[in-house]
Amino acid sequence: MITLSDIPARGGSPLTPAMGLFAALVVTAPFWLQPVGLYQYLGIEVAIWILFAMGFNLLFGYAGLHSFGHGAYLGVGAYAFGLFQKQVEVSLWGGLGAAVLAATAAGAVVGLFLSHRRGIYYALMTIAFGQVFWFSAIKLRWITGGEDGLLGIPRPDLVLGGWRVDLDDNRAFYFFVATILMAAVVLMWLLVNGPFGRVLQAIRQNEMRARFIGYDVWRYKWAAFTLSAAFAGLAGGLFAMAQQSAYPDVMALHQSGLIVMMVLVGGGLVSFWGPVLGVLLYFVARDVLGGLTEAWLLWYGLMFMVMVVLRPEGLAGLIHILSRPRAADPAAARAKEV
Amino acid sequence: MFDLLPHIINGLTLGLLFALIALGFTLIVGVMEVINLAHGSLFALGAYFALATIGADWFAETPFGAWWLGLPLTARYVLALAVGPVLAGVAGMLLELCLRPTYGKPALYGLLLTFGAALVVEEIIRLVWGTGEQNLPVPQSINGAVLLGGMIFSKYKLFAAAFSALAILVVWLFLERTPYGAIIKAGAHDSEMVRALGYDLSRLRLLVFGFGAALAGLAGVIMVPIWGLRPHVGIDVVIPAFLIIVIGGVGSFWGAVIAALMVGLAVGITGAYASAWATMSMYILLIAVVGFRSRGLLGRKSALET
Repeated sequence: MITLSDIPARGGSPLTPAMGLFAALVVTAPFWLQPVGLYQYLGIEVAIWILFAMGFNLLFGYAGLHSFGHGAYLGVGAYAFGLFQKQVEVSLWGGLGAAVLAATAAGAVVGLFLSHRRGIYYALMTIAFGQVFWFSAIKLRWITGGEDGLLGIPRPDLVLGGWRVDLDDNRAFYFFVATILMAAVVLMWLLVNGPFGRVLQAIRQNEMRARFIGYDVWRYKWAAFTLSAAFAGLAGGLFAMAQQSAYPDVMALHQSGLIVMMVLVGGGLVSFWGPVLGVLLYFVARDVLGGLTEAWLLWYGLMFMVMVVLRPEGLAGLIHILSRPRAADPAAARAKEV
Repeated sequence: MFDLLPHIINGLTLGLLFALIALGFTLIVGVMEVINLAHGSLFALGAYFALATIGADWFAETPFGAWWLGLPLTARYVLALAVGPVLAGVAGMLLELCLRPTYGKPALYGLLLTFGAALVVEEIIRLVWGTGEQNLPVPQSINGAVLLGGMIFSKYKLFAAAFSALAILVVWLFLERTPYGAIIKAGAHDSEMVRALGYDLSRLRLLVFGFGAALAGLAGVIMVPIWGLRPHVGIDVVIPAFLIIVIGGVGSFWGAVIAALMVGLAVGITGAYASAWATMSMYILLIAVVGFRSRGLLGRKSALET
């Protein structure tokens, strides 16, 4: 059994086989999605959720801080994007910038309250703050449109110099999202395999020890929260573009729980790529099980429960174990794992 | 001041109901150190089982159903008041069996497992009882309004508040005055020592979880005529419950009761003057209290912090 602090730190270049495989999958997705019977929009949705999940895993997997209210920052990003398009001007980069800024600011403020908490108290406070955002989205009707949310958010064109791309076409929009996703994933890779990521992992393994070594643990926890909120905000901005709307549902406790489920089932606790597997599995479950039965969430929930009990290191951990060469002597293998 | 009085009374009534919900929650946290996110689902299960006991309209067409629905509502209601909590307690025990592998691991696993369980229970409720809003009928004798000291009160709310207060008292007496209560309190303090003294720890956990779940189910039967019954009522309910235990201090009995009354007052008074913000007042109270005392009002240091 691999332990929960098994995320390998590599350092150096992000040019690894896994990164190459991921890039290849992301780039070619539009060409095989439809032939295998899936639809174009699914690719966009999955890419956005992968971005959200991987940003969340900076906090959840690497720093070991369990946020149960992260849907809030996705929602803040989505609303910021929508409000920018509707109130300020129709601009792609302005909107995405506003989404990231708003979510970063929200994360930074909430992080101030959270960062000296630990364990379950951390999780409880994130739930409470998540609910505050969700509730505000419903009640600040004059800004957010209440329960209906913001509807008819325009999807601005991509303008780069003299080059203009109409993103209303889902294929073009997919490539735009994929480009942002790849850039973000490379950035996250560099972050977690650099000094910052090492400190986060040290905090996860033993906060007290990290503090005694001399790291300003509070500041690192705060930075990890703010950063993951920023990625959530970016994902939220793209989500508002994809849906052309922003609504309070994405901020609800259910949604925040889903991202935790995806990351855990995928194996975010032990692997950088775990969240990708988790998101894919969720959408496969939704579309395949959802096609068979109305109550697919029941089966997904049961699978999640079994996973928490038997294999908390998730799919990535399972793959890790299966791909390891079998040792002839189980005792020797166990000794090696320690 | 006189204007405020009815709102204060309403708030305290609400607080007593909140306390009933939070009680099982805090008992489970205290003894098992499990944050049971499925507590709200057990609440909902209790209410749905009570609904089933009272009987649906389609039931009347079956021979037994005709006889059953012919019984006075009061009799069926009293039975529902017992059946709801008992079956919710059984469901809680099943959940405890699922939780066993997570003991000794970080508290996160219990939280995650019960979150999954909440999702599963909600889906089961949707499958069995449908997605629509339903209501639990209450007997004539506790329905309607009553005039007290120049103010009008809902009879049912008064009944619910009195019932909750009584239940809280009984639970307190059970914990303080019976040997079994002493074991539970000792288990909350140091479970290894309880095992060393020869008590069967896993049976204790099973019973405490069942008891906590039964309290959730009881709260469900009592609350639902006021709040209405829908499959996701569990999520709506679990939120105030754990805000209350965080404010009161995780694992503290009186902390939970005091926090519940505070939350009830905050919601009641805000509700009177700015009704849209009533729910928000809970969170503001939480952030204010926890900002000053990170363990809540009466909280002790616990294993949940690491």
